[in-house]
Amino acid sequence: MPNSLFEEKLNSNGFLVTTEVGPPKGTDIAEMVHHIDSFKDKVDAVNVTDHQSSVMRFPSLGGCLLVKERGGEPILQMTCRDRNRLALQSDLLLAYSRGITNVLSLTGDSIDVGDNKEAKPVFDLDSVQLLKMMKTIESGADMGGNPLKGAPKFCIGASVHPEADLIEPQLIKFEKKVAAGAQFFQTQGIFDLASLRRFMQYASQFRTKILAGIIVLASARMAKYMNDNVPGITVPQATIDELASAEKGKGLQKGIEIAARMIKTIKEENLCHGVHIMAVGNERVVPNILEAAQLDGGHH
Amino acid sequence: MIVAEQKPLDEIRRMLGPYERVLIVGCGTCMTVCNAGGEREVSFLHSALRLAQAKSGDGAHAFSEYTVKRQCDPEFLDALAEKVGDVDAVLSLGCGIGVQAIAERLANVPVVPGVNTSFMGMAKELGVWDERCAACGDCRLEETGGICAITRCTKAILNGPCAGTKNGKCEANKDMDCGWILIYKRLEQLRQLDKMRRYYPARNFRAIPRPRRIVVNKGSIANAGEGNA
Amino acid sequence: MHSAVRDEFHKSRADRFEKSPDHSLMPPCQDACPLHMDVREYVDLVAQGKIMEALQTIRSGNPFPSICAYVCTHPCEEACRRCQVDKPIAVRALKRFAVEFGGDRVIRAEAQTTRQEKVAVVGSGPAGMACAHYLRKLGYPVTIFEAHSELGGMLRTGIPQYRLPRKVLDTEVERLTRMGVEIRTNTRVASLELLFDLGYKAIFITIGAHQGLRLGVEGEESPGVIDGATFLREVSLGLKPSLGSKVGVVGGGNVAIDAARTAARLGASNVKIIYRRSRQEMPADAAEIELALEEGIGIMFLVAPTRIGREKGELAVTCVRMELGEPDARGRRQPVPIKDSEFNENFDTLITAIGQAPQTPANFRIRMGRGSTIQVDPVTLTTNRVGVFAGGDAVTGPATVTEALAAGRLAASRIDDYLQHRYPLTGAGRQVLASDLLPKTVEMIRKTSRLEPPILAPEKRAKDFEPVELVYDWEVAVNEARRCLRCGVGAEILFQDKCATCLMCLRVCPYHVPYLDASGTIQIPADQCLACGICVAECPARAIVLRKPYDRRQITEELEHIFRSGTEPKLNRLVIGFCCQYGLFGTGSLAGLWKRAKAGIRILPVLCVAKVEAEHMLRAFEMGAEGVFIAGCGSQCAREDTASWVSQRVAKVKKTLAEIGLEPERLQTFFPDSTGVDPATELDRFSEQISGLHLATVMKKEVAR
Repeated sequence: MPNSLFEEKLNSNGFLVTTEVGPPKGTDIAEMVHHIDSFKDKVDAVNVTDHQSSVMRFPSLGGCLLVKERGGEPILQMTCRDRNRLALQSDLLLAYSRGITNVLSLTGDSIDVGDNKEAKPVFDLDSVQLLKMMKTIESGADMGGNPLKGAPKFCIGASVHPEADLIEPQLIKFEKKVAAGAQFFQTQGIFDLASLRRFMQYASQFRTKILAGIIVLASARMAKYMNDNVPGITVPQATIDELASAEKGKGLQKGIEIAARMIKTIKEENLCHGVHIMAVGNERVVPNILEAAQLDGGHH
Repeated sequence: MIVAEQKPLDEIRRMLGPYERVLIVGCGTCMTVCNAGGEREVSFLHSALRLAQAKSGDGAHAFSEYTVKRQCDPEFLDALAEKVGDVDAVLSLGCGIGVQAIAERLANVPVVPGVNTSFMGMAKELGVWDERCAACGDCRLEETGGICAITRCTKAILNGPCAGTKNGKCEANKDMDCGWILIYKRLEQLRQLDKMRRYYPARNFRAIPRPRRIVVNKGSIANAGEGNA
Repeated sequence: MHSAVRDEFHKSRADRFEKSPDHSLMPPCQDACPLHMDVREYVDLVAQGKIMEALQTIRSGNPFPSICAYVCTHPCEEACRRCQVDKPIAVRALKRFAVEFGGDRVIRAEAQTTRQEKVAVVGSGPAGMACAHYLRKLGYPVTIFEAHSELGGMLRTGIPQYRLPRKVLDTEVERLTRMGVEIRTNTRVASLELLFDLGYKAIFITIGAHQGLRLGVEGEESPGVIDGATFLREVSLGLKPSLGSKVGVVGGGNVAIDAARTAARLGASNVKIIYRRSRQEMPADAAEIELALEEGIGIMFLVAPTRIGREKGELAVTCVRMELGEPDARGRRQPVPIKDSEFNENFDTLITAIGQAPQTPANFRIRMGRGSTIQVDPVTLTTNRVGVFAGGDAVTGPATVTEALAAGRLAASRIDDYLQHRYPLTGAGRQVLASDLLPKTVEMIRKTSRLEPPILAPEKRAKDFEPVELVYDWEVAVNEARRCLRCGVGAEILFQDKCATCLMCLRVCPYHVPYLDASGTIQIPADQCLACGICVAECPARAIVLRKPYDRRQITEELEHIFRSGTEPKLNRLVIGFCCQYGLFGTGSLAGLWKRAKAGIRILPVLCVAKVEAEHMLRAFEMGAEGVFIAGCGSQCAREDTASWVSQRVAKVKKTLAEIGLEPERLQTFFPDSTGVDPATELDRFSEQISGLHLATVMKKEVAR
């Protein structure tokens, strides 16, 4: 029996739309709440990121609680970088108890790209082992084999990188995640629909849903920066050029245009099961994108 | 082998601060091979310390030198014990093992480390050492085509690669290869790619729990000397 | 500083590494030399520009270096391992350079008589002169008996003056006289008993081989046919036999070539040598053959005379062509006449020079051997008669000057053994470096041309008897000497216990010499190492030394010397420069640097800057140097990679200087390079820079001594 609204949507055949919000670096959550309010009703679920790019922030679990409070559907992003298996299992018990049952399992960016570079990298588990662990505690025992007093139930997701320069290792990993129980995947940023098509030709054999990750870029400079510094993102030169062609001050406009265009194509051509919009730092324009892609309000 | 780098000169001088007569002890094995603490480096450091002292005007140090074959076996330290009669401190250019071995042996003489022991690694070419082994105690090199996922992957994951790999390099250091892409290529070459398709469960991080000891021939080494006193 | 620690300090400084022993191997040049001259040593001294020291080394092994400088057949050059790379070192020409510039003509040889026993030397060729020289040095009263009016034997009568100038020979003879050797010329020894009766206790017979061998053909007695050795003797006495214009010389040895070239100088316009074998088999010195051909002398190979007749006032010589047949007992292919290939050649004079034999008087009652030579025990040089020794051409048949000198020297020590009733020991042989260079080593050695000494042009030569070969210029001599591979003084792992098999030496060697043997031990084969010194300076365990480690001792001792004599007033801003001694004379540009070094700059000469270690540089600063520089030959170094290793060590020391708070600019390297910046100018700039830095005021304390 499906556990969450999101899981219901997953099991239906509708076009899924999710987006994400990054918590603040501090206790001032006003802006985050504002963003959540602005799009919680327009999307199927809202991810809350977990120290994205290894920058210390307000926790993802806390952010999911806020989403829940505000009436939205949260997806808890959980990385393996900062907590060992005891802490991870424990956080999942709390999440379940508060009705947060959509979980995205991630390995996590390395400490080096973040802002606390001397921290100890934990990586007690990796993303595949985290998926398995979730299945294990669902079955009523913890990783140590000890019985649990009350078992959780999750809707489990993972990430995949269809535009990796060497694809086969990513596919091997993808299959492991599917075998471990991943019900949905949010991909790394897609910029080239041809590679998405190739990926889907292969991925469609599996009983799992694929949401194409759409990154909103605000300028050519931002694109280059992401290329060099953000793991998992490769912006092609054509996109950088298109951004550069925008009038001064209209970069974000252009980014919205590019994003919306891609989303429309994916939806019209049924390339995959949905999109996951990542407007890193520009969450305020998510509604604009949804509007431009004619997704607001139309699907649920 | 064990690879180390000499500590910065001012750090060494700061640690030597209170001591007057200092014996600089080198090591003739690993530290010689990696150019961090062999006889030549001892002599060079000795000169540098005296020069620095003269330049800054502080530090009432008088230095002497001695290099042992290895610092990590008690027999090699016998001769050392004789030399420390009137020495206030020992500056050891041995790896962390050597520094501690000397400290254990010379109960009343403080020992200062002169190098930062870095890793267990191999020489790729002259002057370049790469880490290869983390002494995890649970070697699974058979699963990964002879390439260690613990030392070659910055996240030490067992089901790799992560999404951060780009052009075969690691997201954390673009000069270093992504360990998992290396593993993938090698397994492919060996026609053993099925090993990569297997699910590897979470590591046993306490395969050999710390503090660590290995005992061979019970009754001889185990009963000899102080151990972890 | 507490005395116990100071003692410790000094003990650790004066450790075994500084004073390692001499484990050098005898190089093939020295082994091939009949006198076993330390060729490697004097060539290296020439390369360093230390010509007087080179001459001293030469004189310590050779009683008549100036003679050898002109006429030695240089077996050392044939054995020189540089042949395997390009061309051998021009050792003889370098010796000539040393002898000329060193002023070997200075006559200064007194000796004391400390012994009673008189020794007679019969014959005054090189063997006799050498024997007399050494016996005299040992303190014996020596008399030389010479049948002719002047001393020298073949040196005077057989070798033409354009090869060995008269005054060089005379100087050596004069020296013998000054030493107190009694000389009786125009005295032919008729019997040995007479000598014993006169009180001589030992006799050395060294009468040479002067009797020309006969051709054995009809008409040999004809007028116009003269013996080669006789011809040369007459010319040496000042006679000018009339030869006509067409002269033929039969033979292929040095006497034949000498006779031909002498005939040309006496006015013969058409000189032809007739030799029965081919050019490869010709025993004469290759360079001599070349010079003869340049002078217009023709050589007819594979031709032999069969009959000599007279016709219209000329000699009509019937010749037959030869071909090489089966090898004889000694491996030389026997020439065989080709049937019906006779032809005629006409000459005014025919000189026969097919070999010489000794003429020993029968009443000496000495046992003879092949070819009328005297038989001797090869170890003791004794004949069948007690107290009678023999050596030189009289024993070996016609051989080289140097072999004769060696025989004379050996005879002197054997006669000394005999007279002092010592057992004639043969002496332990020193280990000789025998094998060839490996291809992988040869590949890395930069190929350079052999620098020949200047030679008079052929047109100028054939007019008179002035020496044909001139002397090197200083810089050319030094650069030729720098080509030496220094066989046998290379690196060895002296302290095997310290070696951690870190493979540093294997990796840094530009010539790929060190290798791992089957047991995983590093070996540095002595016969491949070219003694560049890089591994010695880089070995982290300091386990490697050079087999003849004068260099390392020299650098440390020199530094200590500067240290101890450190009365430099602090105002004088001491700058210490490690400068390559080879480059001083060899590259020219370093010479400018040395000359411009002003007060306050102490130059520490090193034999290649590759030997300057990082510790040496730091030590120089410890001693109070305000600035330190390394001046090397850069890309003109005779060894590969040296400049880059020095630069790496300099980078390390600069880093340490910065850590200490001293300006890294205090340490510089100067290498002459293709941009043409003159090192001397750079040094000036450096000195100025240093004077602006005032180390003396910056150092708070004196460095602990």
